[in-house]
Amino acid sequence: MKRRISVALCLAVVSAAAIAAGTMGATSKATATTLTVWLQVDAQSGWPTVVQQANDAFTKQHPDVTVDVQYQQWNTHLQKFDATLAGGNTPDVIEMGNTEMTKYMAAGAFADITADKGKFPNSSSWLKGLEQSSTYGGKLYGVPYYAGSRVVIYRTDYFKKAGISAPPTSLSQLTADGKKLMAAYGAKDKTFSAFYVAGPDWYSAMSFVYDYGGQIATSNGTQWTGALDQPNAIKGLTAYKDTFLALSRASKTQDEAHPFPTTPFAQGHAASFLGPGWQYGYALDPKAGNPKLKPVIAAFAMPSHVAGKTMPAFLGGSDLAIPAGSQNKSLAEDWIAAFTSTAGESGIVKAGNIPNSTSLLSLVKGSPGTQLARAAQRTWFVPTAKNWANVENGNVLRNMLTQILTGKKSVQAAATDASKQITSMLNAST
Amino acid sequence: MGTNIDAAGAAYALRRRRLSRRTLLRFASPYALLAPSLLVIGAILAYPLYFLVRLSFQQYGLFQLIAHKGEWIGLHNYGVVLHDGVFWHTLLRTVVFTAVNVGLTMVLGTLVALLLVQVSSFVRILITSALVLAWAMPVVVAVQLWYWMTNFQNGVVNYVLTKAGVGDFIGHDWYVSPTSALGITTSLIVWGAIPFVTITVYAGLAQVPRELLEAAAVDGAGAVRRFRDITVPVLKPIFLILTSLSIIWDFGVFTQPFLLLQSRPNTDYYLMSIYLFEKSIGLHEYGLGSAIAILMLGIVLVLSSFYVRQMVRMGDVA
Repeated sequence: MKRRISVALCLAVVSAAAIAAGTMGATSKATATTLTVWLQVDAQSGWPTVVQQANDAFTKQHPDVTVDVQYQQWNTHLQKFDATLAGGNTPDVIEMGNTEMTKYMAAGAFADITADKGKFPNSSSWLKGLEQSSTYGGKLYGVPYYAGSRVVIYRTDYFKKAGISAPPTSLSQLTADGKKLMAAYGAKDKTFSAFYVAGPDWYSAMSFVYDYGGQIATSNGTQWTGALDQPNAIKGLTAYKDTFLALSRASKTQDEAHPFPTTPFAQGHAASFLGPGWQYGYALDPKAGNPKLKPVIAAFAMPSHVAGKTMPAFLGGSDLAIPAGSQNKSLAEDWIAAFTSTAGESGIVKAGNIPNSTSLLSLVKGSPGTQLARAAQRTWFVPTAKNWANVENGNVLRNMLTQILTGKKSVQAAATDASKQITSMLNAST
Repeated sequence: MGTNIDAAGAAYALRRRRLSRRTLLRFASPYALLAPSLLVIGAILAYPLYFLVRLSFQQYGLFQLIAHKGEWIGLHNYGVVLHDGVFWHTLLRTVVFTAVNVGLTMVLGTLVALLLVQVSSFVRILITSALVLAWAMPVVVAVQLWYWMTNFQNGVVNYVLTKAGVGDFIGHDWYVSPTSALGITTSLIVWGAIPFVTITVYAGLAQVPRELLEAAAVDGAGAVRRFRDITVPVLKPIFLILTSLSIIWDFGVFTQPFLLLQSRPNTDYYLMSIYLFEKSIGLHEYGLGSAIAILMLGIVLVLSSFYVRQMVRMGDVA
């Protein structure tokens, strides 16, 4: 009997350990003289020199402090951050996507820096949208870092060879041009895409939705309602599906970071793709891209289905926040100030972004700058609900797109399901 | 007289006390020796388990995480999980997935072990080295290799299948349907689990009395008969422990499917561990996640109970 119990107990313990192991994570603890900074990989691939310059400037100011910059992935950084919140060893500075801020500010995750606003360069002329995403209950919890809009990055040589003389000015023109490109290159190269877009890339898909007058969700002030099942949104999703099936041979299941669209583009398997501005430079990167494309790369703002207009672009952006548990709040502020200095922002702009301040907008020029600025005139943003991050983390929109593109569900059925989920998630009490 | 009685009584009491001290010592010493390991197990397993159970009765979201204090809500979390259709679909999918994985692992692992007995020592060393290498491969590295090999644009699997004339696999996306995606995951898990099964079974095969096999052969028993009636009964304890361990591992397997299917997050692809992860970590609902973990623990115990009972029965005989 005793043996029986011990065997059973043994198995119970082993299985418990196996299951518990799946739910745990850990990060290393920082010492007092190390400033831990979490930035997204975009900085690592797009503007590493800006980070270096900020570190140098900061170390000159504080010679006894070491800066430890740790690069994070968009799809896992919040999970890692949560683990540090539970363990009490948060980083001192963290980059947050502007869509991710609200939930964390509401939960009290970040230090209130309202009183220190003057410490940060150009803070009187910060971009309104970014400053709003850093503000909760009238208090400031983050510093605008940069904004980004999206453009179509394309190869002029492919377009010319397929007999296309000018970039398209309407969605139907883009489709017609794309079909010409598919005819010219698609038969030889089975992986060729005229207009490469990863299937579950919801930033691109929602641009179609907003272009046709649809929305992700609407609010009456107290209640949110998912709106993807509405006729205009369905029109947009259908247009996205048609465009994807005609012009893109990207995966219907892998997101826009696996791989980055710049990879097939740099390898010659894509004539164009819709991406954030920094990917223009990234496509030419000697390691990740192909520098030889420099003479033939160009950009145009994604055209709307209404000729002459641009399609609304997702107004992405990032803020830098100081976790409430950080022991080095003042040092963290100094580092952020060094990083978002005018010099730093101009480096970030050169990499293909929009600066955090209206006083620096004149830096946006050349290619792809002018096109980015043009795309930035018509933008859309996610619903400003406290629980929006749950919709993103729950992959509701990606699931819906995969279902639509694989034909598993009709556009209407998939959109109705997603809409119901969004309604319940945005109104949940927690 | 009275003093005599007193003296005898005192002597008796003394003897008894000495005796009882000795028995006590004899009784206590194993526990004293066990104490340190019990303490360690208590600290690293019992306490987290207790914490997990407590968490499963609490509302514990991002706000509570930062405040380090949950709100007691009784069985609410369990109710939410059991009313979630995704939970039941995921459970069914995971049970089938586990059955296929454990079955393939055991059958293939045993076949390779039987092969090892038959081949020359040079080939045996070759196979064993290959097995150990596969075993020593860190899971994350193996996932990355699988990911490259099955890449839909330039993966070697598509290339080889096309060149071999199986069909046009250029641009074929193995992850476009849950069945195919979980099939790829299965191949990775089975590949990684075979070495353990093979090496353990091979070690067990050394216990099978050679003369018994020879006698059976002389009596005209074929290879299948000898395996069924001699090898399997001798190896039964090993098969039972391997099967129940495999069930526990495969039911809760996380790393391989999560990394391989990471950017294909459709609920149609969920296994229990991924469901648990998405609910608890993805949505910051740690109380809910704990309830799922407890339910998983119960399910694993039910699934492996058959094998545990078999093992216990053998334990009673031994």
